[in-house]
Amino acid sequence: MKTAQEKLDERAERQYRRTHKEKFVLKPRDIVFSIFNYLFFILFTIACFFPFYYLFINTISDNSLVQKGLINFYPVGIHFDNYAALRSVNDLFQSFLVSISRTVIGTALMVLASAFVGYLVTKPEMWGRKIWYRLLVITMYFNAGMIPWYMNMSMLGLTNNYMAYIIPGIVAPYNIILVKTYIESIPQELEESAEIDGASYMTIFRKIIWPLCKPILATIAIFGAVGNWNSFQDSLILMQSSPNLFTLQHRLYIYLNQASNLSSLMSSSSNVNTSVIQSMLNGKVIKYTISMVTVLPILIVYPFMQRYFESGIMLGAVKG
Amino acid sequence: MSSKEKKAGMISHVVRAGAIAMVVLLFIPGLNPARITKMIGDEASLLTSGFFYGTLTSGMGRAFTKGWINESSMILLFISCLICCLGVITAAVGACLTLGNLKCHRFANLLAMIGSGVAALSMTGVYIAYTQVAATSKPKKVEPVFPAGIYAVVIIALIVFAVALISNLVLPKASKEMKMKMESPYKLFLMLLPFLLLAFVFSYLPLWGWRYAFFDYKAGDTLSMSNFVGFKWFTYLFQNTATAKDIVMVLRNTLIMSGLGIATSWLPVAFAIFLNEIKNVKFRRVVQTLTTIPNFISWVLVYAVAFSIFSTDGFISSIMVNSGAWSQGVNMLMGNSNTWLKMLAWGLWKGLGWSAIIYIAAISGIDKGLYEAAKVDGAGRFQRMWHITVPSLIPTYCVLLLMSVANILSNGMDQYLVFKNATNASTITVLDLYVYNLGIVGGSIPLSTVVSMVKSIVSVILLFVANTISKVIRGESIV
Repeated sequence: MKTAQEKLDERAERQYRRTHKEKFVLKPRDIVFSIFNYLFFILFTIACFFPFYYLFINTISDNSLVQKGLINFYPVGIHFDNYAALRSVNDLFQSFLVSISRTVIGTALMVLASAFVGYLVTKPEMWGRKIWYRLLVITMYFNAGMIPWYMNMSMLGLTNNYMAYIIPGIVAPYNIILVKTYIESIPQELEESAEIDGASYMTIFRKIIWPLCKPILATIAIFGAVGNWNSFQDSLILMQSSPNLFTLQHRLYIYLNQASNLSSLMSSSSNVNTSVIQSMLNGKVIKYTISMVTVLPILIVYPFMQRYFESGIMLGAVKG
Repeated sequence: MSSKEKKAGMISHVVRAGAIAMVVLLFIPGLNPARITKMIGDEASLLTSGFFYGTLTSGMGRAFTKGWINESSMILLFISCLICCLGVITAAVGACLTLGNLKCHRFANLLAMIGSGVAALSMTGVYIAYTQVAATSKPKKVEPVFPAGIYAVVIIALIVFAVALISNLVLPKASKEMKMKMESPYKLFLMLLPFLLLAFVFSYLPLWGWRYAFFDYKAGDTLSMSNFVGFKWFTYLFQNTATAKDIVMVLRNTLIMSGLGIATSWLPVAFAIFLNEIKNVKFRRVVQTLTTIPNFISWVLVYAVAFSIFSTDGFISSIMVNSGAWSQGVNMLMGNSNTWLKMLAWGLWKGLGWSAIIYIAAISGIDKGLYEAAKVDGAGRFQRMWHITVPSLIPTYCVLLLMSVANILSNGMDQYLVFKNATNASTITVLDLYVYNLGIVGGSIPLSTVVSMVKSIVSVILLFVANTISKVIRGESIV
């Protein structure tokens, strides 16, 4: 979005160019620079995007052509049977459910907790506020290490337990700092007048803080959701003996590392076209299709959420 | 406030301390009253025993089918533990509410009495379960033990009960129309308390796990003074030639990869500056959008992408084979050559566009007047870039650079784990991956704890140093 100021600037610049035309004659080295500049950005952008496109066209093209390596730039013989056939890949749907549910539940609880705690730590009258806030913030800067963390989780009974995906993520110090800073930028008068009217802390939080904080909460929600969807380590380390709790990322990692014939993965009692399954199994198509399913939520959500992502990194500049 | 209330307030400190002790007890596996046979894991705490029946009875299938233990006694044990946990939680809630006014305080004492009473009574269930298990036909296999935890729970619960009772006897009766109330400092604190507990349990409690570094521990053992070994594992790390070699290799990989990261940390700045030189706003938008996507996919997916492009039947091999240049596909992900540069390249592919955003935003914040003034003075395009844009990005760059120096030992594990294969283990294993292989895969808990611990301490020191440097030079702290 262009701000009014930017529009004005642009107009002024155009005006300036028109009146000072002779000054803007392009020199040869400027042209060469521009060409290389454009070229670099075009190539890098293609490098960033092409792999996803390549994966996608290979999952919707004719499987025998894919197998011969003939689908490189555009799809041929478009069909979506591969995606339908995924239904009969063992455990995949279960992992999908685990990933989706942890993303939704984990993010919702994290956002609620961050908003509430962020609000509480702005209250100067709290008993021992400074100490508690510092204790929360310090946790960002150290960790005991992977093995002590693992031993702690197993002591708490959070190994091979779905709750291990949800509970540890509820208190997120960085997000708490973001919300706190945001609340401190809201005019105090709103809260004060509500307090005078006899509103309780909970009422103020629900009726004033929550609605006003929505922009920042949207930002942390999106980062939280992406983090949850992508998380792989907790599944790898904590769920060692519960394959039914593996996340989609973990499942994909396992499939990618398996030998090319994945026929053992298929459940026999499937009602999908068996020829599709056969052509899919014998190689890379199934791996590509599972990869695509894993990356698709991010690719779909991304364009809509981009402005939140970008405001997110700018918030990184603030401090507690 | 009357003198009686003051006295009761003093007494209530004991109730609170007792409630804290009971809550802590829930987490200590060594004092788990539910461990009535050695078949119950020594990692299980009272909380685990009370909430996860599966964990409590894991490994008992044989004992149940053979009839050594009657399953009903385990169910009795489980229910008793659950009731005990609920009792402790009730008592803890009561202890929290003792901070309120007279009416609230009296109610809180009542809650504490109920909770601790229930917790103490639930131990009879545990005791009955113990007597049933002790009467097993196979004492050698089942190994019944009398859990010392029962005493701990009963004693603390009775103290809390008695003190709460005394406190209520001391306190005057509250008038009927009085309402339960609490002063706002305490109210706010109690609202925050659950979250503080979560932070404590998941961020501070793991530090307690550092004790494994000083014991001779194998999975399933108990920690007791008999297997305390002091600093044995610390010296072992350097005296054992095999591990010492590993450590040198791992440190080399870690430092080189982090070093390459730091050496290329100016690239996002350059990316932002050159992108800013492109005047076509739409083109800039598209570039920015598409180059930030890789940042939001996991390393597993980056590997999937790498697989689709560089594997034996991936994009490059397909093109080369179909054009006849290669006789057969080559898996470029295998092999031990240039691993560090490849990892750097993947890191840049994933992070470059994203890291540039902060600089792009900084550039848009530069005063346009500066450029105009420079133009009037006859400065060319490159002079303007070098003398205006670059200097205004330096402060941001310095902060991020210092942070990456502080994180020199922590380059994460995901990237290296997914790209690891049989051929490149010696160049790709970084510290975090080494700890994972050693502790989680290999099961050497003490040794890997030592490495984890040293790494954490060094990282904190580095962060502190970086922060001090920043304070001295820029007069601003970075954390």
